[in-house]
Amino acid sequence: MTPFLEIRGIRKQYGPVVAVQDVNLTVGRGEFMTFLGPSGSGKSTTLYILAGFEQPSAGDMLLSGKTVLNTPSHQRNIGMVFQRYTLFPHLSVGDNIAFPLKMRGWSKADITERVRKMLKLVRLEGFEDRKPAAMSGGQQQRVALARALAYDPPVLLMDEPLSALDKKLREEIQHEIRRIHHETDVTILYVTHDQEEALRLSDRIAVFSKGVIDQIGTGAELYANPATRFVAEFIGDSDFLPCIVTDVVGGKAAIRIGDGICVGAIPLHGKAMTGGAAMLMLRPERLTLLPEETPHTLAARIDDITFLGNTIDIAATTGDGNRLSVRLPFGHQALQGLQVGAQVRLGFDPAAAHVFAV
Amino acid sequence: MLLNFNSLGSWKWVLLAITFLTAAFLLLPILFIAALSFGSSQWLIFPPPAWTTKWYSQLFADPRWLDAAWTSFRIAVMVTLLSVVIGLFAAFGLVRGRFFGRTLLRALFMTPMILPVVVLAVALYAFFLRIGLNGTTTGFVIAHLIVALPFSILALTNALEGFDKSIEDAAVLCGASPLKARLLITLPSISHGLFSAAVFSFLTSWDEVVLAIFMASPTLQTLPVKIWATLRQDLTPVIAAASTLLIVVTIALMLVTALVRKGLKA
Amino acid sequence: MASPTSALEEQTTTRFRLGDRSSTLPALVLILIFFVLPVLALLARSVTEPVLGLGNYVELLGSSTYIKIFFNTFFVSALVTVISLLIGFPVAWALAIMPQRLATVIFAIVLLSMWTNLLARTYAWMVLLQRTGVINKALLGLGIIDKPLIMVNNLTGVTIGMTYIMLPFIIIPLYGVIRKIDPALLQAAALCGANRRQALTSVLIPLAMPGMAAGGLMVFVMSLGYFVTPSLLGGTSNMMLAELIAQFVQSLVNWGMGGAAAFVLLVVTLSLYALQLRLFGAAGEGGR
Repeated sequence: MTPFLEIRGIRKQYGPVVAVQDVNLTVGRGEFMTFLGPSGSGKSTTLYILAGFEQPSAGDMLLSGKTVLNTPSHQRNIGMVFQRYTLFPHLSVGDNIAFPLKMRGWSKADITERVRKMLKLVRLEGFEDRKPAAMSGGQQQRVALARALAYDPPVLLMDEPLSALDKKLREEIQHEIRRIHHETDVTILYVTHDQEEALRLSDRIAVFSKGVIDQIGTGAELYANPATRFVAEFIGDSDFLPCIVTDVVGGKAAIRIGDGICVGAIPLHGKAMTGGAAMLMLRPERLTLLPEETPHTLAARIDDITFLGNTIDIAATTGDGNRLSVRLPFGHQALQGLQVGAQVRLGFDPAAAHVFAV
Repeated sequence: MLLNFNSLGSWKWVLLAITFLTAAFLLLPILFIAALSFGSSQWLIFPPPAWTTKWYSQLFADPRWLDAAWTSFRIAVMVTLLSVVIGLFAAFGLVRGRFFGRTLLRALFMTPMILPVVVLAVALYAFFLRIGLNGTTTGFVIAHLIVALPFSILALTNALEGFDKSIEDAAVLCGASPLKARLLITLPSISHGLFSAAVFSFLTSWDEVVLAIFMASPTLQTLPVKIWATLRQDLTPVIAAASTLLIVVTIALMLVTALVRKGLKA
Repeated sequence: MASPTSALEEQTTTRFRLGDRSSTLPALVLILIFFVLPVLALLARSVTEPVLGLGNYVELLGSSTYIKIFFNTFFVSALVTVISLLIGFPVAWALAIMPQRLATVIFAIVLLSMWTNLLARTYAWMVLLQRTGVINKALLGLGIIDKPLIMVNNLTGVTIGMTYIMLPFIIIPLYGVIRKIDPALLQAAALCGANRRQALTSVLIPLAMPGMAAGGLMVFVMSLGYFVTPSLLGGTSNMMLAELIAQFVQSLVNWGMGGAAAFVLLVVTLSLYALQLRLFGAAGEGGR
């Protein structure tokens, strides 16, 4: 079956600077795919290549099996919403939404009907005659969305559309976007640097780092099974401890941490040799606090205990000076009588930990 | 505190006095000319013994004055059109293009505005003599265009720089070809810049004296040239009438500009 | 970041592209052919007519008549600049701090004066300053003088006329500069115990100095090259450089000397602008 949207070996170079090294992925019809990563990771550039803003140095992009790179931007029939609202300032809301339809030669009656329908979709009925300047940021972004979807594009691109809005408004519009996605079933490619936003909105997430995709998967997959250290750090909280690999068997490593603790059968990512150095990744919320004398566990001293509402964050330092944090739900048994300066033992389930080759 | 109007004490009155006197100094000659143009004395005696409109009648009855006014007008219109179009293209190139020497080019375009006009006038005069453009409308238009273009380019580059290019990009993604996007979306969005460019270009040509003196011929004179020529002979009040008309045009254009600015902002 | 339009233009190689350096071509061609070229040609004539060599310059800079004209030009320009600054500074200061309504009116008057036709304004002064003109009549009537003052065709007329033209070019930029001065600085001065005079000389004027120097330099340069007002209001004994150039070219048809004088004016102007750029960075607008 031909994938709906296919991105093959895309590379973009500006002189000596490589913005996108090698990006490959497929997107299914109706899927909500997010490109997540820090600025400069190549996520926006990849999006712009699809929109036609840039020509790739190498690679191809195919929509339903046909390459889009030969088509000029204005014929690609793709919808896009930008970070800056980019509504046409001299046109009313209705005329803004009608614009792409006029370009496609729709009849006046059809246009009026479509505009009304779109405004209803974004819950701005009756706003046809308003001017963009007379509207709030959130409203303008919704009009931009209506305009992008007016002509039923096969793909909708969204480039950090909510970064300019305050938190409360952002959550509101995230909700709207999710609703509109379900109602229209359009395929969405969304770019953001905010992992929470990505987790909230997407079906799948592609994590970008330095011009390549480190991993593609659902939020849960990326959280439970990060393929690289970068992904582990970017999604969810993480603690890292240096360790030595003592054995590698079938994708799992046995390691020795700091003061001689040996742990086995931890999922390994990347190539590590026996005797080589590696990093152990632990999720703060998967660490358990044990009474001091438990053998085969990490020794640590409590530095600080912080109340965060529904969780408690405990900062601790291991015997060999590594800092890490432990998260416990409020009211947890282990917290009773816990004091700063106490010596404790930290345990973890090897299956939930990860080792990353260095 | 010196920058607070109310705490200046007695200095406040000194400052106000100087300002009012200066404002009067700046304004009165203009009002004086207007008043003079309605005075009946041929020797420009003021206050005039009687009021009349005969100087205006003389002005409008004299075909040479009317001719000069018409010449001024049609040259200014041609200059405006050319200045805005060429300036628009140049502005796009300066703002959107990415090439070496952009700053230098921008500076070069501004040069006719900052160098003494008499140098340009003499140079063009010599040049046009050589290529036969002296005393022709074409030569006139070109000369005025050279000094009007910097204003146009300045206004248009400012407007274009203040325009968010993503809006144009959005129009292209909506299905408009780059040309359509610019015509339907970008140009309307910088209409205030287009308007400023047009007004400045028109006024520059309409009021221009030095170049006009050198570009003119006995049969091709703009209003300022006619005034200049007449002035060298005598100070007839007809000049006052012509000058008042020039002033009225300027005021009208300034008012229109102010109103359009307000209207465009709303 | 590129745009879809520029990506498209990368593909089309033959069609005329807008938004590329080539769209500056018409303007560039125009300026090169009808500005740079003629000026260079004039320059060339200054060293080739009547014979090859610097003879014209030698004559120009050696003759006492011409030296007098150079000197007069500089003198008048300097005088006009100083007077404009003396009047313009308090006016700009007042404008920057007076109530908004009043400031708008005064500002409108200044703008109006600046945009009104140069000839019209100069003509006004020709009439006002003549022997039987209003000013003389008023002064005679008030008993301040008993013989009419001669104020046209001499230094007085030129100075008054040119100051009138140049004032707005000082007031408007200086107003902008003073408005940008942080009032807190003057408040601090007052708190430190400075009286008004001290605050003026030690704080306000130094802070406004860059604006004054830039404006003053611009007015000076403009005055150097002025043609209309000096010709109409000045006399033959205080001819200025621009009129000399015109005379060489129109009356005497001496292109060699005309070109040489024009070149001297050009060099001085450019040098002063270079100086302004070096000292202040921003370029001002020129005059007519």
